[in-house]
Amino acid sequence: MRLRRTKLYLPGNNPNMLLRGHLFNPDGVILDLEDAVAVSEKDAARILVRDVLRKGDFGNCEVTVRINAMDTDLWRSDIETVVPCGIDGIRIPKVENPKDIAIMDEALSHIESKAKMRVGKTLIFCLLETALGIWNAYDIAKASRRVAAICPGGEDLRADLKTTRSENSEELIGPRRIVVLAAHAAGVDALDTVYADITDDAGLRRETEWVKQLGFQGKSVIHPNQIPIIHDVFTPTDREIEQAKKIVEAAVEAAARGLGAVQVDGKMVDKPVVKRAEYTLQRAGLSAGGEK
Amino acid sequence: MKTAQAGTLESMDCIVSVTESDKGRGISIVMEGASVARFGEAMVKATKDTLKSLGVRDISVSIQDNGAGDLVLKARVEAAVRRLAGGKAA
Repeated sequence: MRLRRTKLYLPGNNPNMLLRGHLFNPDGVILDLEDAVAVSEKDAARILVRDVLRKGDFGNCEVTVRINAMDTDLWRSDIETVVPCGIDGIRIPKVENPKDIAIMDEALSHIESKAKMRVGKTLIFCLLETALGIWNAYDIAKASRRVAAICPGGEDLRADLKTTRSENSEELIGPRRIVVLAAHAAGVDALDTVYADITDDAGLRRETEWVKQLGFQGKSVIHPNQIPIIHDVFTPTDREIEQAKKIVEAAVEAAARGLGAVQVDGKMVDKPVVKRAEYTLQRAGLSAGGEK
Repeated sequence: MKTAQAGTLESMDCIVSVTESDKGRGISIVMEGASVARFGEAMVKATKDTLKSLGVRDISVSIQDNGAGDLVLKARVEAAVRRLAGGKAA
């Protein structure tokens, strides 16, 4: 399981951030060719991002590029430039329809094949930033085996829903629940949108705890200071890890003895509890067996 | 004479301005910025290497540097040259 607690956006025309962003230790970086780059700078950003990718110095981060939307004439040049650099995935804005993903899948396969890369290597992360995109979330997530995650939008989605930002983002409760449901039904990650107020640490923690409880696996990040807070929320506590280890070990022992359910600390433990314990260990960076 | 420019004066970046030259005039490079005294030679080499890879023989290049390393300098030279040519940047 790949940890995707945080994905840090790095503006595609900003050398300082592109070269140093990974040093803040997010789980992933998103080199952004879309909203962070002025229309007049798209060409220069694409060259810069290509060269930074070729250098390939991102530590252990999962490296993705947010390309320009598929209703522009920029996205094909974007993927032709960045995919041969061997990135982990692309992030597609404003996905509304599974057909978009089918078209992208074919385009990626063509580029990978031409570059003598493994066809299917480049993952797809879908940004669902309209009501239609949210409505089609499951079909979009299932449209290609490349899809690794679906992510609800923030401001674009609010605008499309004809609403505005409220203090607790109540307007996004429904879309977030749909994304979680669709993602887990399709077997992909649900990754949440950014928390825009970079000075409100308490608000960020509150929102992160809430989306974790809903079933999200992580959040996008627009400022490095947000990373430790989100990691803290998504990383299991020592107590949770110890309890999970106990449960998994007991389950392994029970299976060896041919038993279905076991007791841990006087409580009956059955399959869903074991599954959750295994997930806790994975999130802690430990395998289900309790080893690094 | 046609001119084009790429880059910014943000930290670790540079502005590269290129002006077309008559055939046979060769490459001229003017640089200013904090790193020039220490890394000027490497910057000239990075610039010339990029121009060579793009097939450019006659051009005037002006670089205002704010701590761009070779990677960024090369990317900005390429972007400026492609803008000068009016073609696609990548």
